[in-house]
Amino acid sequence: MSALTFAGVRKTFGANVALQGFDLDLHQGELVTLLGPSGCGKTTALRIAAGFERADSGTIQVEGADISKTPPHRRNMGMVFQSYSLFPNLTVAGNVEYGLRTRGIHKATRAARVAEILDLVQLGELGARYAHQLSGGQQQRVALARALAVQPSVLLLDEPLSALDAKVRTTLRDEIRRIQTDVGITTLFVTHDQEEALAISDRICVMSQGNIEQLGTPTEVYRRPTTAFVARFVGTMNEFTAEVTGSGEVAVAGHRMAAPGAAGAATGSKLSLLVRPEDLALGDDGLPGSVTSVTFQGATTLVGVRLDVLDVLVSADVGSGEADHLQIGDRVSVVVNGANAVCEPAPS
Amino acid sequence: MSNRFTRWLGRLGPTLVLLAAAVFFIAPLVSSFRVAFHKVPTVLLDRHTWFQKWSFEGVRRAFDEPNFWPTLSLSLRLALITVLITMALLVPTALFVHLRLPKARALVEFFTLLPYVVPPIALVAGIAAFYRANARWFLNTDYALAPFYVVMAMPFTYRAIDAGIKAIDVRTLVDASRSLGGSWAMTLRKAILPNMATSLLSSAFLTATVVIGEFTIASTLAKNTFATFSFEYFGRDAQGGIGLALLTLIGTTGLLGILTLLTRTKSRRAMSTTSRF
Repeated sequence: MSALTFAGVRKTFGANVALQGFDLDLHQGELVTLLGPSGCGKTTALRIAAGFERADSGTIQVEGADISKTPPHRRNMGMVFQSYSLFPNLTVAGNVEYGLRTRGIHKATRAARVAEILDLVQLGELGARYAHQLSGGQQQRVALARALAVQPSVLLLDEPLSALDAKVRTTLRDEIRRIQTDVGITTLFVTHDQEEALAISDRICVMSQGNIEQLGTPTEVYRRPTTAFVARFVGTMNEFTAEVTGSGEVAVAGHRMAAPGAAGAATGSKLSLLVRPEDLALGDDGLPGSVTSVTFQGATTLVGVRLDVLDVLVSADVGSGEADHLQIGDRVSVVVNGANAVCEPAPS
Repeated sequence: MSNRFTRWLGRLGPTLVLLAAAVFFIAPLVSSFRVAFHKVPTVLLDRHTWFQKWSFEGVRRAFDEPNFWPTLSLSLRLALITVLITMALLVPTALFVHLRLPKARALVEFFTLLPYVVPPIALVAGIAAFYRANARWFLNTDYALAPFYVVMAMPFTYRAIDAGIKAIDVRTLVDASRSLGGSWAMTLRKAILPNMATSLLSSAFLTATVVIGEFTIASTLAKNTFATFSFEYFGRDAQGGIGLALLTLIGTTGLLGILTLLTRTKSRRAMSTTSRF
């Protein structure tokens, strides 16, 4: 049985359609990320799950029970917000204890639970401090502890890392994943950061204009995007204009290659071919161009090349050993592997 | 040299304005103080008489007046009732507007400013006509003043409460509390009101000062409050009346001073603890 289900959820704000027929199932213990640009409806979906917004139509179910009309304080969901949202008048322990108080749990049990959960987020020593005495990362860990203390059926995370600096964000991201896995709690995570989504999720739900564009594992979403939107939004893409030369075969500036994504397109038609940097290589018989940038990234190096024939700038991910002799201005040849390319009709 | 002179001239202007403002505010207070507690006519003032015949007799006489304590007691009770009604009405209203009707904020702010626009005498005439027709018994009690005072204090109190709400991320705090199982009542009691303590306190003090000093409405409705007593007493004993007015001023200033002190202590404590980490 699904831990959380959105069934045909539609939500409008005046003339704006935030969600249109949104369907999503979260399995027990998995972490699903809603990923998309601002205004795509991801936060609306989360707020509807929490009960802060009411759907125009459709239902929300937790373990099969319809909670669409249940008020937020009776839904038993834990939520972490972007802006920390700790109660300034309460200590760290007081914040974590808050949800246990609302449930009328006995004082001794509360104290034990608070200590246990603060240890889980590695803040056991800071129980007596107030929110303003903590760093952003610590505050967000307290918020996570507070949400987990009530043993919610679903954990909702609304861009919890976006207010933090890059280093803390990475550390806390890994910590959230560790805790989520340890506790085994079903989690719905909202972010617009694709790197974050790829790193933390069991599945990613890519959204655009209130619709689900693709739902799949991080590998599926990254390696096999089903729409050009997903291909462009998740990761980096190089874009070539290609001509269909046969079934599943295209030519880019006269260079033929297999492109299964083009199967079904009429021979002679023009396509936009979207290719990941790691599907470009520097070889002998490719598209000629000049190196415009060399960015060392450890094991790989990202090489920027301006192509002669197409006048486009592409990025190729090549092994650092292969790229260590490259200088800006060097002449190179770029070989395109179209096997994983996403194709869409070229703009006329 | 010329630069220094220009800078000196630049500083002179603001200093003169400040001095003029200080004289404008302080001179009447000093004069009132002397009239109230010094029994030497101005024409006889010199370095010898300046230190003679100082006395609190005028104010002491006021304390002995049979109406002094009852009217003061009534004004304080009215202040308390007005504060309670104001809080009960305006805090939920301001929160509701912030959370549910943000577009109505400008309209609500306009309504709260109406007591500035409508003269108190017109307000009394209108509301009294309503009560006379529907609840004459209420108009006959001293507590009939409380609804008027709630309206009179609204421009100050609503703004203080509104500022308190704006100072906290009220929507997120409400959402956080609700998601943790807090009912509306608990959310208000445990998550919102404690974080608005300073603005609520300031709102309460402002309301109290309005009530204690209000004269027009009380006089029109023939109620014996501390303000009407002071006015009436001034007619009989000018020196004692001025002393009383001065004491009232000191009392209300004291209230505001306590408020400032509380606010400053709180923010200083927060700043000092933050700087440790």
